[in-house]
Amino acid sequence: MADEELKLFNYDDIEIGEELGSYEYVLTQEMLDNFRASVQDPDACFPTLAVKHDATALNMVYNDQTGGVNAGNEVEFFNPPIVGKKIFVKGRIHDKYLRRDKPYMVIEATAVDEDGRMLERLRTYQMKKPDEVGKKWHPQS
Amino acid sequence: MASPIVENAQIPTLTKSITEESILQFESCGILDRQNIHNNYELAAQRLGTTYTLASGRMSITFASEALRRFFGPEVFNHTGSVNLKFLRPVKKGDTITVSGSVVQQDQVENGTQVTVQVECHNQNGDTTAVGQGFAVVS
Repeated sequence: MADEELKLFNYDDIEIGEELGSYEYVLTQEMLDNFRASVQDPDACFPTLAVKHDATALNMVYNDQTGGVNAGNEVEFFNPPIVGKKIFVKGRIHDKYLRRDKPYMVIEATAVDEDGRMLERLRTYQMKKPDEVGKKWHPQS
Repeated sequence: MASPIVENAQIPTLTKSITEESILQFESCGILDRQNIHNNYELAAQRLGTTYTLASGRMSITFASEALRRFFGPEVFNHTGSVNLKFLRPVKKGDTITVSGSVVQQDQVENGTQVTVQVECHNQNGDTTAVGQGFAVVS
């Protein structure tokens, strides 16, 4: 989807509970192999982590020019996804809040496969003033 | 996990090398072909003021998940496991990340015992890059 077709992201306008993109894709052997190689774990079985279900759901709805820094993740595993099966993902805004005057947004995605098996629930805590984090890491600059 | 879990039991310690290739390969698993602070130096500089791209925090989540899966066993962790991490410092190419942790709590729940593991990730300088907890329910 071209960025011009998306809503421009504005932190003040997003609402807790707001639905984000729902989408489906087929997990391929190539995705699994790439994921396992990237994390140096031949037995890793949740390539869904690298697909970034929640961020993908956000990016399917919003053109986010602000970006953000991932302050934290919470993930629950229910069943490993199976290569060749369709995965259905639903995303939403789980929370938003200010901490130390910085805006945070929590996005969430739940993934189920074509057989109705619950796979994973992922939440990402995004701090929406990424330049503030950069200053903290590089106070001299 | 065959034997009962002992309080303070250590999970296997893992060490992972972060390379530009591994960062980009992780990003390539996505279904949207998007530029971000993990795969685009200009965006990282513009948004963060860094001269480097960052490894996704989800890579650290995956490393922690591997250590926990090895500790609990895949049959337990892949079906009842969870990981919560807070990211404290950037992880970038050239870093070596070590994951460690120990059991800190056990609680009776409906389906067994929920075991809580305190998890930490450190870089090659000994700096903590992430802290949090892992969980699984053992019967």
